[in-house]
Amino acid sequence: MEKDGITNVLLSGVGGQGILTAGRLLALAALRRGLDVKMSEVHGMSQRGGNVDTHVRIGEAVPSPLIPKGGAHFLVSFEKLEALRYLDYLRPDGVAFVNRLEISPLTVALKQPNYVDDIDKILEEKTPDLIWVDGTEMARALGDVRMVNVILLGALATRLSFLEDANWEAAVKERFAKPKIQEAVLAAFRKGPEACLSR
Amino acid sequence: MKQLMLGNEAVARGAFEAGVAFASGYPGTPSTEILEYLAQYENVVVQWAPNEKVGLEVAMGASLAGVRALVAMKHVGLNVAAGPFFSASYMGVNGGLVVVSADDPSMHSSQNEQDNRWLAKAAKVIMVEPGDAEEARWMTREAFALSERFDTPVLLRMTTRVCHQTGVVNPEEPLEAPARGYKKDIPKYVLLPGHARLRRPKVEERLAAAAAFGDEDDRWNPVFGGRADLGIVTSGVSFGYVRETMPTASILKLGLTHPLPLERIKRFAAGVKKVVVVEELDPYLEEQVRAAGIDATGHSLRPYSGELNLTLVEETLLGKARDKVTVSLADVDIPPRPPTLCPGCGHRPVFKVLRDMRVHVMGDIGCYTLGALKPLASMESCLCMGGSVGMAEGLARFGGPELQGRVVGVIGDSTFFHSGITGLIDMVVNGSKATLLILDNGTTAMTGAQPHPGSGVNIRGGPSPRLELADVCRGVGVKRVVVVDPYHMDDLEKVFEEELAAPEVSVIIVRAPCVLNERVTFAEPVELDLELCDKCGLCIRVGCMALREKEGYPEVLADLCNGCGVCVQVCREGALKIPEKVGA
Repeated sequence: MEKDGITNVLLSGVGGQGILTAGRLLALAALRRGLDVKMSEVHGMSQRGGNVDTHVRIGEAVPSPLIPKGGAHFLVSFEKLEALRYLDYLRPDGVAFVNRLEISPLTVALKQPNYVDDIDKILEEKTPDLIWVDGTEMARALGDVRMVNVILLGALATRLSFLEDANWEAAVKERFAKPKIQEAVLAAFRKGPEACLSR
Repeated sequence: MKQLMLGNEAVARGAFEAGVAFASGYPGTPSTEILEYLAQYENVVVQWAPNEKVGLEVAMGASLAGVRALVAMKHVGLNVAAGPFFSASYMGVNGGLVVVSADDPSMHSSQNEQDNRWLAKAAKVIMVEPGDAEEARWMTREAFALSERFDTPVLLRMTTRVCHQTGVVNPEEPLEAPARGYKKDIPKYVLLPGHARLRRPKVEERLAAAAAFGDEDDRWNPVFGGRADLGIVTSGVSFGYVRETMPTASILKLGLTHPLPLERIKRFAAGVKKVVVVEELDPYLEEQVRAAGIDATGHSLRPYSGELNLTLVEETLLGKARDKVTVSLADVDIPPRPPTLCPGCGHRPVFKVLRDMRVHVMGDIGCYTLGALKPLASMESCLCMGGSVGMAEGLARFGGPELQGRVVGVIGDSTFFHSGITGLIDMVVNGSKATLLILDNGTTAMTGAQPHPGSGVNIRGGPSPRLELADVCRGVGVKRVVVVDPYHMDDLEKVFEEELAAPEVSVIIVRAPCVLNERVTFAEPVELDLELCDKCGLCIRVGCMALREKEGYPEVLADLCNGCGVCVQVCREGALKIPEKVGA
């Protein structure tokens, strides 16, 4: 647990990547650890291929739902451009977990830039503590690309020492009804550390 | 056991615990999930109404019948329901009635940022304001009792960050709420002028009684901390930011924000040196606090628009934010990622054709409002639910010769049932020559695929009578009604030109299922022949996520493409092709 009592995790990516489910699992694990948690998300317009962010705040008592800029202990990004967009939320000592995936925003005309050149280099320069995660690749290897969200959670979990294995298991069992899915999700979650690349 | 719930889910839980018998409403972000969660409780009658006004009227009938009822809508929905809302205040209730208004500070998914706390004041009803999920639960649960005790509808005012905040909730056992039975009461329920004048003083007496209740009640209007130098008056989600910024400051947190407990606020103010009001949007609390003779500031210290956050509240109360932003993004150009129509969406070819025809489109509210954005950029107005119809009529009539036969209204099916029908009746009876396009995808797509009167299913997925749009249009007197498929763009353009030229009102129903809701796949992903491509960029200008630029050429993203063929139809060189099905 952080000294000031609240741990802030910002999840970012593109609508449809399973970010809400990841946030919900993290929040459930915290609740089953006996902690207070508040999570904030935006529905509606942002679901149509727009950028999506979910704020999760965990502590003994969490009064408010939004992480301030410069206040995130962890940034978990499902896509590189969406890591860059939210990088100013990270604390100076914050850690960024970035999935190695590029999804271009809608292109409205030829010859118009639709991505950031050298994004890997820019992310690495701007983030003192950046961990690349081969989440999408790992999810493909597991046979279900949707598992990228729990693989990223598994990577994040290595740094959230206040949450125990049993809390994550309880969260997964509460969120998914079918035993088969529970098993698949937990298996993918445990692959998270393996998907982290050293720099 | 403690549970994790979305704020809207907690409202549903609170209503269930209060023994609610009936719930209605119309989908609208950020309110939509309230009814969807309520539909999971078997014994509650839950139904989508064609619009908010009808939903509130049915709920009033249920209330008169003696059962507890709830109506949920987004902030602008209460404008639509304002007719019954303002008069229900005079009529009072029998069974408790809760009207949920979900406001959207910062306009995440809305056309305006109106602060509906004013509507509680204007309609003279009780208003309660939760700030997190657990408060959403217990305040909803208790709001029904307040409604019955003070004989008034209660406005439950939510905001996006309360609706879509997930937090820890302590569910309680449901209450017994026996039906009170219908009792005929003509002077109370028939608002003839003579009766309404008799009801008017009762409204005033009830407000005074509710204010006195709020003055003395520690649960609804608690005081925190005890420092004497600064007292903060706040409500809703703002409380959390204040509490986190100044954990030891004196805070009066108002759960009942109409009528305001002014005596309690005066007592609180008398115990501190300085009073600051922290609230989102308009200075609703502050103006009343100051009018009561209390020296307070607040509005001048913060932005007049947009939702609050920790940084803004720290700047308001401490003069500067605690967290330092250390990563600068000023030196990189990050391309925006705006929301966009899904690959294969039936709205795309419609706007592509309308753009090329250079007609003037009066638009409406739904996914298709994205037709206003580049590269389609072919919608020229979007005012309110149903507004396209009347605006098209007005623009066509007064647009002069150059707009002659060049004006169309574009509205979705759910929006048409909501409030487009009356506009169409106006077109017919007043002899408009404008053309109306109804984009019929069978669902309320924007808010997450809720059924509407043309869907043929109810909120629980069971069967319900299905209204046929073409019949409805003919039924209100439209003689020219055409139904078309959007994926053949040559035909589409021909029909549009014919109907625009017609000397009377005509309706074109463009019918294609929502590709997202129905998980539609047309064909294998489109293939590009680089040899044939002349890099003209026409395909890119249909604005599909599955096509992007790569080194001057288009590139098809096979993971996203569902083979709708719209880009294939715009390619003059035949470079884009739908692959032949092998072994199908």
